[in-house]
Amino acid sequence: MDLENNKAQMRKGILEYCILSVLSRNSCYASDIIKELKEAEVIVVEGTLYPLLTRQKNAGLLSYRWEESLQGPPRKYYELTEEGRRYLADLDKSWMELVESVNHIRTR
Amino acid sequence: MKITVSINLGGYSINIDEDAYAELKRYLKNLELHFAGEESSAEILSDIEARMAELFRTKLTNYKQVIDIGDVHQVITVLGTPEDISDNEGPTVSDKFSSPGYHRMYRDPDHRSIGGVCAGIAAYWDMEIWLVRVIFLILAFMGVGILIYLILYIVIPEAKTTADKIAMKGNPVNIHNIKDSVKQEFDTVRKNMKL
Repeated sequence: MDLENNKAQMRKGILEYCILSVLSRNSCYASDIIKELKEAEVIVVEGTLYPLLTRQKNAGLLSYRWEESLQGPPRKYYELTEEGRRYLADLDKSWMELVESVNHIRTR
Repeated sequence: MKITVSINLGGYSINIDEDAYAELKRYLKNLELHFAGEESSAEILSDIEARMAELFRTKLTNYKQVIDIGDVHQVITVLGTPEDISDNEGPTVSDKFSSPGYHRMYRDPDHRSIGGVCAGIAAYWDMEIWLVRVIFLILAFMGVGILIYLILYIVIPEAKTTADKIAMKGNPVNIHNIKDSVKQEFDTVRKNMKL
């Protein structure tokens, strides 16, 4: 058994959920999301985030707008769409169920 | 002393050493190939370029005005190589391209004299370009060559990316090939600039 691989698979599974959760609080641009994900240690290389964001946007879960920045070129600010909020609520529910199931087995 | 190149990365103007530029270009080519199958691959790449530019900017000060190869390696470590970014959604398109015998007809913009049709045909069947051209000239004198050329020009797409150019010759596309091809391209540019 490969422990590192196992951990990586777990992280991958929850990464999309984490991105939506970060965006549920307020709209942010990619580097803000990266900062939060790194602090929480759910992302290893930053490049993983960009294809996920674009896919979620294409799936209608996210939308973005361009915002001027004092530090340089305009930035892409992402936010949840209505559909994204419903999707996240579903994920929240199944996450809680998962945690309960695992706890149930572990504390038996 | 080193030669530097000035590039536009994600809207930032950045001065970068020549060797660092070659490394950066190779990395971006590899990423381009990795995301080739995505619906919005261009968007993903430009997002990543914008992030790279942001990271490079944090490395520049009044006393350090040029990005060097060490900076490029550091930023690549932060963003991750295509292997690091590997997706868990089944085979990516780069796997599809790597299958042996991926072979398509393209117009070859690098060896063209008119529209690259003859050069593309020559590359596809591994023939001499002059031979293909002579055949077209003969056909033209017979009255049909120009029409055939025009139709082929419209039907055959131009080889735009490095992956296209490799598929044009029928070699399997893999990172190794791309590296060779990009290096060739870079050497040509360098020769043209007489560096």
